[in-house]
Amino acid sequence: MVAPALYVHVPFCPSICPYCDFHKMLRNEGLVARYVERLEAEAAAVSAAFPESPATVYFGGGTPSHLTDAELTSVFSALRRGWGAGAGRAETTLEADPLTFDERRLAALRALGVTRLSIGLQSADDATLRFLGRVHDAAAGLEAVALALEAGLRANVDVIMAVPGQDVERDLRRVADLGVRHVSVYSLTVEPGTPFARRGVRVDPEADADAFELAGSVLAEYGLQRYEVSNFAAPGEESLHNLTYWRGEPYLGIGPSASAYLPVGGPFGTRYKNPPIKAWLAGETPEAEALSADDYLLERLMTGLRTREGVDLEGLERRVGAKLANVAPAWLRDVTRHALLERTDGRLRATPAGLERLDGVLRAFVGSRTAIAADRRA
Amino acid sequence: MEIRNFSIIAHVDHGKSTLADRILELTESVSERDRRDQMLDSLELERERGITIKATPMRLHYTADSGQTYQFNLIDTPGHVDFNYEVSRALGACEGVLLVIDAAQGVEAQTIQNAYLAADNGLEILPVINKIDLPAADVPGAIAELEEIIGVPGDHAVPVSAKTGENVRAVLEAVVRHLPGPKGERVAPLRALIFDAVYDAYQGVIAFIRVFDGTIKAKDRVLIHSTGKVLEVERVGFFRPEPTVAAELSVGEVGWFTAGIKEIADTQIGDTVTSADSPTDRPVPGFKPAMPVVFSGLYPTDTEDYPRLREALEKLRLNDAAFSFEPETSEALGFGFRCGFLGLLHADIVQARLEREFDLSLIATAPGVVYKVVTTDGAAFDVQNPSELPTPDRLESISEPFVALSVFLPEEYVGSAMGLLQEKRGEMKDMIYHGHRVELRYEVPFGEILYDFHDRLKSLSRGYASMDYQFLEYRAGDLVKIDVLVNEEKVDALSIIAHRDKAYDVGRRMVDRMAEVIPRQMFSIPVQAAIGGKILARATVKAFRKDVLAKCYGGDITRKKKLLEKQKKGKARMKQIGTVEVPQEAFLAVLSTEE
Repeated sequence: MVAPALYVHVPFCPSICPYCDFHKMLRNEGLVARYVERLEAEAAAVSAAFPESPATVYFGGGTPSHLTDAELTSVFSALRRGWGAGAGRAETTLEADPLTFDERRLAALRALGVTRLSIGLQSADDATLRFLGRVHDAAAGLEAVALALEAGLRANVDVIMAVPGQDVERDLRRVADLGVRHVSVYSLTVEPGTPFARRGVRVDPEADADAFELAGSVLAEYGLQRYEVSNFAAPGEESLHNLTYWRGEPYLGIGPSASAYLPVGGPFGTRYKNPPIKAWLAGETPEAEALSADDYLLERLMTGLRTREGVDLEGLERRVGAKLANVAPAWLRDVTRHALLERTDGRLRATPAGLERLDGVLRAFVGSRTAIAADRRA
Repeated sequence: MEIRNFSIIAHVDHGKSTLADRILELTESVSERDRRDQMLDSLELERERGITIKATPMRLHYTADSGQTYQFNLIDTPGHVDFNYEVSRALGACEGVLLVIDAAQGVEAQTIQNAYLAADNGLEILPVINKIDLPAADVPGAIAELEEIIGVPGDHAVPVSAKTGENVRAVLEAVVRHLPGPKGERVAPLRALIFDAVYDAYQGVIAFIRVFDGTIKAKDRVLIHSTGKVLEVERVGFFRPEPTVAAELSVGEVGWFTAGIKEIADTQIGDTVTSADSPTDRPVPGFKPAMPVVFSGLYPTDTEDYPRLREALEKLRLNDAAFSFEPETSEALGFGFRCGFLGLLHADIVQARLEREFDLSLIATAPGVVYKVVTTDGAAFDVQNPSELPTPDRLESISEPFVALSVFLPEEYVGSAMGLLQEKRGEMKDMIYHGHRVELRYEVPFGEILYDFHDRLKSLSRGYASMDYQFLEYRAGDLVKIDVLVNEEKVDALSIIAHRDKAYDVGRRMVDRMAEVIPRQMFSIPVQAAIGGKILARATVKAFRKDVLAKCYGGDITRKKKLLEKQKKGKARMKQIGTVEVPQEAFLAVLSTEE
């Protein structure tokens, strides 16, 4: 049984950002202690069921760097107890807020086995950071990124785009000039229920499209290539952990609201989703959903087409037992005729134009496909 | 008891229903507590649109100034040109009519049309000049128009305000004095006219009848003249307004009967009910089987709803013999039905009822008329669906229905109305001046006045023009099929038939409208209008520039997948054609106004 990746969800943040709709909460000492205790128990149980040691470990949040050294040490020990010293051997990533680490902290993280920081810088401009409600300023943020690199960690820097008034190109250059080898760019989206939504903040679709295209050309100058819709890396610097999601490979997940995908419960595997923190602390088990061939096909297109490598179409068609040309003939004809997707070497990939409109491509697929079972009967 | 059977006819908005309400109050048939405005319009849609669809009869008792009590049967009639035949049959049940004229508006197109319809049925006409409470009321002017234009003497005309109730009693006295009572033989074989019917879930069809000779009561064996079907009467009665059972309906009376009839089509409007044992050899004249003249395709948005749509159509047909349906298949829309209607309003009502009462989401194709086609091999047939029109090389001739149209409007708008009629390929037959008003008589293709004609006529005349029409004949014409291509694929459900001279304009208008209503998608979509292989007009639905969510990591996958699937399910009144989502409005693009 292969489970090459492990996701650990840490739901705590020092403050709540006005655009965030993730599962997160403000830090509270008693709660954190109970969280660590429950996480240790979950690691023990999950590792008993799926003992193979994960090559990558990813701490996401929330802001995992807001755990103290002692708390982090407890968590790492629990992972090692469950999966051995090899857990995270290929890559161990921690999402980190720029104000949560200094040289001493970085050394401690390295000692624990962290190889990579995903730093939520968001912008290198004070006005933009203030608009976003971030507590750090541009200078402190850039300094933190430089420190991480000096400490010998790989740094993945998050930059937000399409913020009203933002100079995206300047932000990207300031980050890339530091020698960062991996940048994730996300357009600001105003999700329902967030403070931004209540304030009526709007994203200009033209500015958004401009920024998407600009990010590609600016970062290419620094040798960073778009290998996924929002992710740019120098060759060999890609996030191995995130690639498991986009390649449809299995991964384990622990912590409140963590998801997992495991090769059990049928030929197309099962997705799991842990309950939110209160129910999770009470020991409630995750929701499970076994995938059908149709689910699997859609998920593979949904995630695989986001990447530069695309999907192995021949392998996928073999696995689901149906040809895309039969499941969605009009769609396949249109997306290739309009050069949104291209087929080469048995793989299906999005062109730059297709990548920029991928949700429309997927909506059209869902709208026009026939179910695989029906296709087989025909 | 002496009887008066009468109906109220009027141009729309001249106050027919308000007068009926006042009469019901004066004859104490409706208690104040049950009173709702426009009492006779019972169907929810009728109430909502302020129009009458069913010809409901109501029995009232009126004690005249002379002290004598009369049985009044007041028959409400449909108030829209789509239902002319139904009006004529309802009038066939009466001896007289109240012709209501708005004292401020005077005589209008439907006033004339309805008056002629009454005269054709040999009815006595009693003019009622309504709305005398209005400052602009001109009673002598209205009476003068009545005499001059329609040739109805104004001596007995009663001025009233149905709104305030002023002088309404004088109308009832005039009914007694000036409208004739029914004639006929009581001791004779039954001879009765069916002038409308409703379907009731418990009793089956309730047929509305007027007895001309003989009597009808429970257990009688009766025969439906046109079908030869024999039925045993279960119950007879009348409305006041609630259905009331009676021992019998006798000569001259109006009421209803039930006989366990399953389908309203068995009691067609205008048919004769007679005694099964000694049937009459003189059926009530004027019967015509219901004939739909406007056809449109109805398709479920979700193909799985096809059986539900069939059931709903079958149920509706129980209560509406005037609409027809038969299965049809469209490459673009899948399985659906070709439905026939009396007119555009009727089509609207049926579609609204299907969506509201049966919770169906439907795509309707553009309504059109029936064309008569002869092919080169001599075969002749009707084309109800433009996509069935044979290719030009196989087409010997194609004919379209013409109507005799009369438009009535103040003289200052005549020039613009004539321009519009010319654009609609109308041919002027006559122009008659009635003082400052003009009646334009035209012969015009029915298909040309189907869509926006009435609205445009109203708007160019600031609301003063009114119109009416009658079917005339089929005439051959230089008609062509316009196909529409969406994303370079022909969509059969969008094809329409138009005159060759207008094909470019129609095609241009359709594609422009479609490009407006089709939502932006992942690539730009050409929308083209074509005749045969030749493209007439083209418009483009632009693509989204950027349409991709920034994040899709492990925890986002299930949510994003569900969102995609939900978006598909949530598309009411949208049809997927290939990879393109086409909304209902696009199928009706040809209806979009030309201005």
